[in-house]
Amino acid sequence: MRLLGQIATRLISYILVIAFGLTVVFFVPRFAPNDPVEAMLAKVSSQGAYMDAAQADALRASLTDAFGLKGSLLTQYWNFVKRIVLTGDFGPSLAMYPTPVSQLIAQALPWTFGLLLSSTLIAWVLGNFVGLWAGWRPNRASSRIMEGLAILVYPIPYYILALVLSILFSYIWPIFPLTASVHGAPWSFAFIKSVIWNSILPALSIVLVVFGWWVISVKAQTTQLAEEEFVRYARLKGLGDGRILTRYVLPNAILPQITFLALQIGLMFNGSIVTEILFEYPGLGHLIYMAVIQGDYNLLMGTISLSIIAVATATMIIDLIYPLLDPRIRAR
Amino acid sequence: MIELKNVRAGYGTPDAFVAAVDDVSLTVHDNEILGIAGESGCGKSTLMRTLYGDFSGGLKMDGGKVTGRFTDPDNGRTTESDAANFQDLWWDVMSYVPQGSMSVLNPIMKVEKQIVDALPKREKKGSKAELRQRIVEFLAGFGLPETVLDSYPHQLSGGMRQRVLVAIAAFVRPRLILADEPTTALDVVVQKRILLMLVEIQRRLKNTLVLVSHDLGVHYQITDRIAIAYAGKIVEVGPTAEVFENPRHPYTEALIGALPRVGQKGERVGLEGRPPSLASPPDGCRFAARCPEAQAICRQKSPPLVDKAPNHASACHFR
Repeated sequence: MRLLGQIATRLISYILVIAFGLTVVFFVPRFAPNDPVEAMLAKVSSQGAYMDAAQADALRASLTDAFGLKGSLLTQYWNFVKRIVLTGDFGPSLAMYPTPVSQLIAQALPWTFGLLLSSTLIAWVLGNFVGLWAGWRPNRASSRIMEGLAILVYPIPYYILALVLSILFSYIWPIFPLTASVHGAPWSFAFIKSVIWNSILPALSIVLVVFGWWVISVKAQTTQLAEEEFVRYARLKGLGDGRILTRYVLPNAILPQITFLALQIGLMFNGSIVTEILFEYPGLGHLIYMAVIQGDYNLLMGTISLSIIAVATATMIIDLIYPLLDPRIRAR
Repeated sequence: MIELKNVRAGYGTPDAFVAAVDDVSLTVHDNEILGIAGESGCGKSTLMRTLYGDFSGGLKMDGGKVTGRFTDPDNGRTTESDAANFQDLWWDVMSYVPQGSMSVLNPIMKVEKQIVDALPKREKKGSKAELRQRIVEFLAGFGLPETVLDSYPHQLSGGMRQRVLVAIAAFVRPRLILADEPTTALDVVVQKRILLMLVEIQRRLKNTLVLVSHDLGVHYQITDRIAIAYAGKIVEVGPTAEVFENPRHPYTEALIGALPRVGQKGERVGLEGRPPSLASPPDGCRFAARCPEAQAICRQKSPPLVDKAPNHASACHFR
């Protein structure tokens, strides 16, 4: 019963957080100085179409309606809430009218997922493994080398690393493509291969930096645990090193790392804006960037709402499963 | 039986070696409870670790010899070993009871697992259910309910945790149990239970219990023999009752004199000063600077630990 109560409380706060986030997402772009209707009109007339004042007014009115900008802020907000809750629809993109926002996101999502999920997981596994070893056997040459590498790459901003990598491997030694170009039928082997090929450099720029961070944090965690009394006691009980490491140190060291991993996965829905721009990588980060530049309210709301929901969901899942991982939390 | 001969053990490099145990000779007999007493920094923990063969964290043996001979009462087989190889005997022939703090057990592992994972092969014969049944019965003998096995350490009280630690050490029926301040963090009621438990286990297994504590009251209650350590040396060793009644070293006398007594009037007199630095110990007797009976010879010549009465030795020029 108490457990159910806790879960219910957590769910309510989850919904409140998302509601608050979506509200902010709705209002902030509306205080921005660019007007998407005027921008669209300018775009139409710049393409050489002639309109007289009446036609322009009619177009303006219908665009305002289509963009969901009719009526007062409150009316707009109410319509927005209704639409989201009932259909999960963010309307058409304003800059790429009339393509729906959901379709644009659906196109970008696999790219971002392919890039970030794989690089985050690779960095997490490698980083934890190396960090654990470096903390457990701090005096081995292998640990020192790996830790040195981690300390070296960790402070480099990932976009600088990305730039260096793309200059080195796309320009000086043109092994990888400079900008993303995909061929092959959707989900064919050739398609997947070319996606992977396109993803290697951006992924590497993320993996290296994040890897460094994991190594440093897990190493600190492990060094501290290695001095814990229960580790000493386990040793005096005559347990072997491997057993102490896997049963006593690792499970305790990994707990906070799981939290970080979940948050990272939630943040993935932001895309990795700078990396994606640098490599012309058609993921969510790129989409958000385009939406900001073009004053595309609906697209911006769609992408940012998605990331709010993703982070909130990741945190909630972690909160709900953490008691299964750590018995000390269960008691509270 | 464990025999220490001129053992020198401590920390640091050969050039800058701090001998926390300096030239100590001591015999730990079969079927006895030996207490090691002394104040903080006297080297009793280092002595304990040397006895257990726990050479980690920079502890090194710089001289002397520690040999052990243990006889299995079931089949009469004898195991001989020296300190450098004692770790092969851990949780088989010898086991250890740590001071039970909050973090001495793995916080995210159930107690049962922490008992089972250290068991030697001979205890693991049979099915898991049988093993659990044996553990349950064993714990019940010390008033510990079966639920303890399915608990996590934070769900146990301090006294429970300490009893579990004693039980874990005793379950393997070792020939030697070393207990390092097993009652220090506990209130007196729980203390008494733990001590009785330790005694009962020793009587049942007829093995050796070495108890390290700074609390002379604890030693008085349960030990058969007591060794008093001061600044890296053993200054007196003998049957506990005799040492308390007729101390043959001024330091022992001062320690006993500092114990509060029922019905006592007036203030207890403590010793002036502090023990010498182990990094640069003085020549002669290490207690000389604080000793009320010290004379010129005490500052020049280190008194050897010799028998002053049957089985009762002290390191003092005058007693």
